Amino acid sequence: MPEIEFNEDEVLTRASQGDRDAFGLLYERYIDRIFNYVYYRTGNLHDAEDLTARVFQRAMNHIKNYTDRGVPFSAWLYRIAHNLVANWHRDRSRRQEIPINDVPVLPSKGDHPERNLVRSQEEEALLKLIRRLPAERQNLLILKFVENMSNAEIGEIMGRSEGAVKSLYHRTLLALRDQLGDQQINLEGE
Amino acid sequence: MVRRKTIHPDQELDKLEAHLAGTLRPVTPPKDVIHRLRERIRFPQPHEIASHLRGEWTKMWLVFGGVMSGFLVLITVARAFFYLAGRRHGG
Repeated sequence: MPEIEFNEDEVLTRASQGDRDAFGLLYERYIDRIFNYVYYRTGNLHDAEDLTARVFQRAMNHIKNYTDRGVPFSAWLYRIAHNLVANWHRDRSRRQEIPINDVPVLPSKGDHPERNLVRSQEEEALLKLIRRLPAERQNLLILKFVENMSNAEIGEIMGRSEGAVKSLYHRTLLALRDQLGDQQINLEGE
Repeated sequence: MVRRKTIHPDQELDKLEAHLAGTLRPVTPPKDVIHRLRERIRFPQPHEIASHLRGEWTKMWLVFGGVMSGFLVLITVARAFFYLAGRRHGG
């Protein structure tokens, strides 16, 4: 679906005045990104759908409180998503549910259909390791690779400096490399 | 003496980054999910939003046209009044 062009500041002002059409435009712009984030953090299509809906419902209910203090609207949305996902993980650990399945395969953007059907064993193994990382490091990897954000943009969302994000990223890569070594998972060359 | 192939740590990290990029790919939410989400939040469809915006423009043009027509009627009535008043005084 082609993205509707609009001035985000103007639309945000209208949305904060209760204009549902304006909020609908914001929804159209951010739905994919928030869904991707929640999907990779939960590894579960059903919960990703539920949590994405709750992110937008919460955003709609609180948009009057959103004031532009140099923080982009996207960062505000991601923070809502992050909080809801954190609550979701906490509730799950309390209920001690059966471990969630591997991340189900959804069509990737710009991929050949046959590429979507299966994830290689390496990808599965890597996803499992990513999902065992602390939440902050998972966020960082998702925002960097799935959302294709720069360290500065990630810093805005995570409330850290660009340098701190860079350092955390490096430590995350080292931790992942060590875990791959511990589990004797050998990544083939690209 | 057998020479062992050593991999530089930076190369290892580059390889890992390449694998991360291949694994963490942006996905497209299924259409039925998007549809259900929209229903759940009760957002208008994009074409509905577009028609609302078009509708507002149509409404604005109608109001503008109505005001201009009313103004012209007022001017015509005023001119007719002055014309009749002038004729009576004149003659």
